[in-house]
Amino acid sequence: MLNFLIFCCVALPFIVGLALYCVPGGAMRKILVPSTVVVMAMAAIGLGANGPFHLEAQDFLGLPLDAAFTFLDFILLGYILFLGWNLRSRLIMGMTVLQLAGLVYLKGVLTDQATPVTGFAPDGLSLIMVIIICVVGGLITIYSLGYMDIHEEHLHLRASRKPRFFAIVFCFLGAMNGLVLCNNLAWMFFFWEVTTLCSFFLISHDRTEIANTNAFRALWMNVLGGLAFVSAMLFIQKSLGTLSTEIVLQKMTALDIKNTAMLMPFAFLCLAAFTKSAQVPFESWLCGAMVAPTPVSALLHSATMVKAGTYLLLRMAPAFAGTTMSTIVALFGAFTFVGTCMLAVSQSDAKKILAYSTIANLGLIITCVGINTAASMVAATMIIVYHSVSKGLLFMCVGSIEQRIGSRDIEDMRGLYSAMPRTATITTIGIFTMMLPPFGMLIGKWMAIEAIARATQAMTPILFFIALGSAFTVLFWARWAGILISSANLREYPVRGIHRPTVIFALRTLCGVALLFSFISPMVLKDFVGPSVSGIYARFNLRAEGFIPGANFTGVEGYSWIYLLFVLLALGAWFAWRATRRVPEKAHSLPYFSGLAVRRGNEVGFNGPMNVFEPARVSNYYLAQYFGEERITRGIDVISTAFLIVLVGGLL
Amino acid sequence: MLSILSALGGLILAPFAGGLLSGVDRRLTARLQSRVGPPLLQPFYDMLKLFGKEPKVTNAWLVFSAYVYLISSAFALFIFFMGGDLLLLFFVLTIGAVFQVVGAICVPSPYSQVGAQRELLLMLAYEPILILVFVGFAMCTGSFMISDVFRLDSPLLLKMPLLFLALGYALTIKLRKSPFDISAGHHGHQELVRGVQTEYSGPYLALIEIGHWLDLVLILGLCAMFWHTSVIGMCILAAASLFTEILIDNITARLTWQWMVQKQSLLVGMGFALVNLLWLYVA
Repeated sequence: MLNFLIFCCVALPFIVGLALYCVPGGAMRKILVPSTVVVMAMAAIGLGANGPFHLEAQDFLGLPLDAAFTFLDFILLGYILFLGWNLRSRLIMGMTVLQLAGLVYLKGVLTDQATPVTGFAPDGLSLIMVIIICVVGGLITIYSLGYMDIHEEHLHLRASRKPRFFAIVFCFLGAMNGLVLCNNLAWMFFFWEVTTLCSFFLISHDRTEIANTNAFRALWMNVLGGLAFVSAMLFIQKSLGTLSTEIVLQKMTALDIKNTAMLMPFAFLCLAAFTKSAQVPFESWLCGAMVAPTPVSALLHSATMVKAGTYLLLRMAPAFAGTTMSTIVALFGAFTFVGTCMLAVSQSDAKKILAYSTIANLGLIITCVGINTAASMVAATMIIVYHSVSKGLLFMCVGSIEQRIGSRDIEDMRGLYSAMPRTATITTIGIFTMMLPPFGMLIGKWMAIEAIARATQAMTPILFFIALGSAFTVLFWARWAGILISSANLREYPVRGIHRPTVIFALRTLCGVALLFSFISPMVLKDFVGPSVSGIYARFNLRAEGFIPGANFTGVEGYSWIYLLFVLLALGAWFAWRATRRVPEKAHSLPYFSGLAVRRGNEVGFNGPMNVFEPARVSNYYLAQYFGEERITRGIDVISTAFLIVLVGGLL
Repeated sequence: MLSILSALGGLILAPFAGGLLSGVDRRLTARLQSRVGPPLLQPFYDMLKLFGKEPKVTNAWLVFSAYVYLISSAFALFIFFMGGDLLLLFFVLTIGAVFQVVGAICVPSPYSQVGAQRELLLMLAYEPILILVFVGFAMCTGSFMISDVFRLDSPLLLKMPLLFLALGYALTIKLRKSPFDISAGHHGHQELVRGVQTEYSGPYLALIEIGHWLDLVLILGLCAMFWHTSVIGMCILAAASLFTEILIDNITARLTWQWMVQKQSLLVGMGFALVNLLWLYVA
C-alpha cells in the first residue's frame, strides 16, 4: 500500500508529465490534469493519515533504485553541463564539473560498505510537506489550465507551449515529493537538482530576453547550491560513513561535543538551503523569477522550490542544535527578514512585494531553525504550512488581476473593487491571512517571537530584527489591502467576469482552505504540527524542553481559551459585516473635499479653472529615498555575505 | 468564570472611565491654555449628539472598519483584564490599527489617504517598541502572561525604567498626541482636516471615539503594570503618565514624519528599549 501511495506522489507526476508532453491534445489535458491532481492529493492525505514510516525500497520492479538514481544523477548533471555550454557560461560549467567530480569520488572511492540505506523514512514534517505540495501545488496546476489559455491568447503564439509547461510543472511536483520523502541524501540530491532544472525551464518559459537572463541567474545560483550539497555529502560520507538522513541525525544528536569536522557538512547544507530558499545575497533569482507566467511564481513561492530549502534545514536542524553555528543561522535569518521587509516597503509592483515578503518569511523560518528548540520548530512548521496556502492564493489573485487590468502595479489597483469585487475581496482576505490574527501566519509569528524570547544566545539582536521587520510587514500589507477595496460607491456588485472556471475554482477553494485552516489553527497545532515535532524529538532522544513556551497555547486550559477568543473574533467580524449590510442606500455621500467634491464616473475630484474636472490623485509613500532597491540592496548583500563567511569560516 | 465576569464588568465600565479621562484631558488642556474648558462630562454629550446624527458614508467598508476597530480595542482590553497573553494583546491591537488605515485608504479622499500613509509610519514607529517592551515583561516574569506580573515581589519599574520611558514614547504615538499627531490630531496644525478619521461622521465617528477611549484605558493600565505591588502606586503611575502626555501634547509643535521616524522613535525609543533589554539579559 505504502509503495503504491509513494508511487502516486513521486513517480506518477513524472509519467503524467511525459504523457502530457508527448500527446499535445487540449481535451486530454483538461481531463488528465485535474484527475492526476486529485489522485496525488488523495495519495498525500493517505500518506499523512498513515503517519511516519520506514520503507526499505531497495528496488522497484526489479530495478535497483540506488544504481538507478546514481545513473540519473550523472545524466542530469551532464544535461546541466550541456546547458552551461549552450549558455556559454564558464561559471555553470565549472561548478557542474566540480559536482560531477565530487559525485564520482563519492560513488567510486567512498562507497558505502555498510548495510543498504533505507529508501524512504519520512517524519511528520515530510508528510506535512507532501500534503502541502500535492494540495496547494495541485490547485495551482488546476488554476494554470485557465490562466495559460488566456496567457497564450495574449502572446498570440503560433504553436501552443502548454504541453511543455504542464509536463514541467508535474515533474516539479513529483521531484518535490521525492525530495521530502526520501531518506538517502544521494537520492535527495537528484530531486534537488531536478527542481533546479525545472525552475530554470519554467522561468525561461516565455523565451523573452529578460526571461532568459533571469532564468540563467536562477540556474547559476542554484547550481552553486547543488555544489554545496555535493560537498556536504562528501563530508558526511567521510565523517559519519553513511548518507542516510536518519542515521546521520542519530549519530549527530548522540554526540556531546560537535567539532568542526562534524559541523562542516551542515554548514554546507545551510548554504545549499539558503540558495534554494533565495535568502540574501541570493534573493535576486527569486525576484527575477516573476517574469515567468504567474502560476510559476505561485508554485515557486508557495508549495515548491523555496520550501525545499527550509525543509532541508528543518530536517537537519537537530544535528547542529545548541552550537554557535545554529545561532549564526538564526541571526542570518533574522537579518534576511528585516532586510527584505524593508525592500518590500519600497516596491509598488505587486509580484515584487510578494516575492520580498516570501523571502522575509523564509528568513523567519530560518531564524526559528537557528533557535533550534522544539518550540521554534513548531513555529517554523506552522509558518511553512500557512505561508504556502496564503502565498499561493495571493499569487493566483495577482495573476487574475493582471490579466484583467493589464498591470500589476498596486497603484493601478485603486478602484479594483469596482471592476472585480470578488477577486478584490479574495485578495484582501489573502492579505489579512498573512498579517492579522486569528489567521495562521500570525499564530506562527507569535510562536516564533515566544520561542526567540526564550532563546539563550543572541536573543536581543534577533528580537530587534524581528520586531522591526514585523512593523515593516504591517506597513506594506495594510496599504495594499486598503487600495484593493477602495471605491466611491456604497456597494459594488459583481459583473460576469471573463475568468475561466478553473481559475475561479482554484481561487475560491484556496481562499476557503486559508480561512478554514486559520480557523482551526489551534487544532492544526495541537493535533498535527505539535505531535510531528515532538515525534522528531522523541526519535532522536532530544530534550524537548520549553516545548510550547509558557504552555499557554497547547496547555489544556490555555488552548480552550484561545479558541474561545478566535470564536469571539469571528463573531465580531460577522457582527461588523452585518452592520455594514444594514447601511441604507441613502446614506451614500461623496468624500470630503473642502466642499468642492465632484464625481465623474468612478473618480472623485473637483472642478478646477475653466471648469475642467481635476481628479484627486494620491499615491503611497514608498520611502524609496530610504529603502529603495538601489539604495540598500548592496549593503544587505555585503552584510549577508559576511554572515555566510562567518558561518563557514567560523568553524575553522 | 469569576475572572471572565469581572473582566466583562471592567470592559463595560471602561468606556465611562475612558470618557471621563478624556474629559479630564480637555479640562487640563484648557487650563494649560488659560481657558476655562468644557464641563467634565462634555465627551459624553458629544457622543450622544454623534449617535443622533444621520449616517453618511462613502462606502460600506468604512462602516466595517469602524466596527472592527471598536471590536478589536474591546478585545484587547478584555485580554488585558483577563491577565492574558501580551503578544496576543499586541496582535489584536494591530487588527484595529490596520483597519483604521484600511478604512482611510478605501475612500478616494486625499485627506484621509495622506492621513493613512502617515498613520502607517506612526505604526512603524511604535510597533517595534511595543514588542520589545512586552519581551521585557517576559524576561522579568518568565512568561508573556499579564497575570504573571502579579507574582513578582518588586515593582517592574525598578528593573525596566528605560522600557517604561520607551513605552511612554510608544503610547504618545499610539494616542496621537502632539508632537506625534501627524496622522490625525485635535490641533489644526497638521493641516489634514482630521487625517485618517476625515471620512467618518455621525454614529461611525462615535464608534471610533469609543474605541479610542478603550485604548486610553488600556494604555494607562499598561503603564500602571509597572508598579503592580501597590494600588496607590498604580494610580500614581497612571495619573503621572496621563498628565505627562497632556503636558507634552500642549507644549510641542508638530513634527515631520521623517524626523519622527528617524530621530525620535527609532533612535530614542528603540535605543531605550534595547539598552534595557540588554541590562535584563545580563542581570
